Amino acid sequence: MIAIESIGLTKYYGRLLAVDHIYFKVNVGEVFGFLGPNGAGKTTTIRMLTGLTKPTEGTAKIFGYNILREKIMAKKMFGVVPEFTNIYDGLTAWDNLMFMGELYRIPKYEREKYGLELLKIFGLYERRNDLVKTFSKGMKRKLCIAMALIHKPRLLFLDEPTSGLDIHSTIIIRNIIRKLNEEGVTVFLTTHNIEEANILCDRIAIIYRGRIIAINTPERLKMAIKKVQSIVIAFNRFSPKILEDLRKNSLINDVRKEGDKIRLYTSDPPDVLEYIFQYANRNGLKIISINTLRPSLEEVFLKLTGGMEK
Amino acid sequence: MKFLSRVIIEINASIAIAKRYIRLYYIRPGTIMFGLMFPFFMFLSFIVGRKISIDLLISSLVSMTLLFSSSSIGPMILPMERRLKTIERLLVAPISFYSILFGIVLCSMFYSISISIVPIIFGLIFLKINIIDPIVLIVGIFFSSICFASLGMMFASYPTEYPGSVTMALNFVRLPLLFISGVFIPLEHLPSWQQAIAMFSPLSYCNDIIRYAVNGKAHYNVIIDIAALTIFTAIFLTAGVKIHVAFSDTKASKKKRKINKFK
Repeated sequence: MIAIESIGLTKYYGRLLAVDHIYFKVNVGEVFGFLGPNGAGKTTTIRMLTGLTKPTEGTAKIFGYNILREKIMAKKMFGVVPEFTNIYDGLTAWDNLMFMGELYRIPKYEREKYGLELLKIFGLYERRNDLVKTFSKGMKRKLCIAMALIHKPRLLFLDEPTSGLDIHSTIIIRNIIRKLNEEGVTVFLTTHNIEEANILCDRIAIIYRGRIIAINTPERLKMAIKKVQSIVIAFNRFSPKILEDLRKNSLINDVRKEGDKIRLYTSDPPDVLEYIFQYANRNGLKIISINTLRPSLEEVFLKLTGGMEK
Repeated sequence: MKFLSRVIIEINASIAIAKRYIRLYYIRPGTIMFGLMFPFFMFLSFIVGRKISIDLLISSLVSMTLLFSSSSIGPMILPMERRLKTIERLLVAPISFYSILFGIVLCSMFYSISISIVPIIFGLIFLKINIIDPIVLIVGIFFSSICFASLGMMFASYPTEYPGSVTMALNFVRLPLLFISGVFIPLEHLPSWQQAIAMFSPLSYCNDIIRYAVNGKAHYNVIIDIAALTIFTAIFLTAGVKIHVAFSDTKASKKKRKINKFK
């Protein structure tokens, strides 16, 4: 079953094309990452999918409900955690939660019971009667997610959920996302934190200048970019001449010094490995360590978006 | 049946929104300044040094209070909600945009009704005024407060994040209305060209119906007053939604262009 279907979503702001005819599907139960640099169209896409912004062309379906024609039914299906924490500072954590429950028409008994549960899960139970303006950034973010969950949605949109948070809060929120997904909630995650997408997402779409330029699982995306496979070597000694010599090899695309190690980018690791052993022997170098690495998602991302730039 | 249950859901949502807004916005400085202090000082400047009958005094004060207090809440709430992005929380909920607007209107109405009954109670207790028709007074206050709340909403619908900008624009309309609507001088004492202009002001009908309730004299009549206030309400609300739809994208595109310029 399909949780989200984007059917040619397009958005112009005046003459500026923010999102350009994007098509993709998110399956039920998936954690789907939506990656892109700032201004690529991530937030505009999420706003169109959640009915906040009207598309110039195209439409989207949420669990089969058209976001333009069956807005109310579609909105019942999802919760949204926006990029900016938008909770009422002048209300308590409890009031904020109950307000959301009322808007989603959750019966009083149910919303109070589940509200307490959520506050406990997010570690906010002790502070439930405090005004939100006294909360830290991480606590506000957690409350924001709790508010998006009060109606037990089947789909959760998360726009940069850990942006600006300390590592402790980030880990808590990532664990919550994992747990929700295990319980069957489909997650649509917008982020420019590549590592976050790598560890959380089943599939990733990369958007650049309003267009989807790649869509696949993180591992397949990494495999697809063969040119950025790399070998990391540490010799017993270092001299700039080693870098120069390595750069002369046509199989090596790039050479970088990384601390006491040297990183070689290549599309042909076996042949380059053979060359390195020969080179070390010839020059009396001792290899302390050597590792072949597949590209990180960050490198894939930079390669794809950088390639588009060229 | 489906339609009726939808309406009930939307009304419940509006009530929930109004309840939260009452707690959040009633004691904001801007609300107190323009909703409470402003009509009070306008009234003082109106009565000091003039011999005015108690009936005219009370009806004018109630009309002015209704106009200022009712129309001040929307211009405070909507820009603040936009600035804090809390409006988006409501917009992604399974309710219509009209419910959000109606929630703000309800919040404005409750505020202005609570304030406007103060001079009436004061008049009844200390000035021994007679209310000729209490039912008409209640009806008049109700229709006037919803009308002026909608006026405030119409101005607040322009997607700005600054309450001051909306209030400033609104004052360009509210202040002239005071002088053409028979608040300071009864409509029947105005020259005919001014009476003609007064017909286009909702405050004329508000003042007229309140004056009728207090002393039994009306320039138009109660039915016309209610009908006119209802028509003005419909115009303001419709215009508000149209302004919101028309300018939302324009504002967003300006922001986007600015962001892209700095990239």
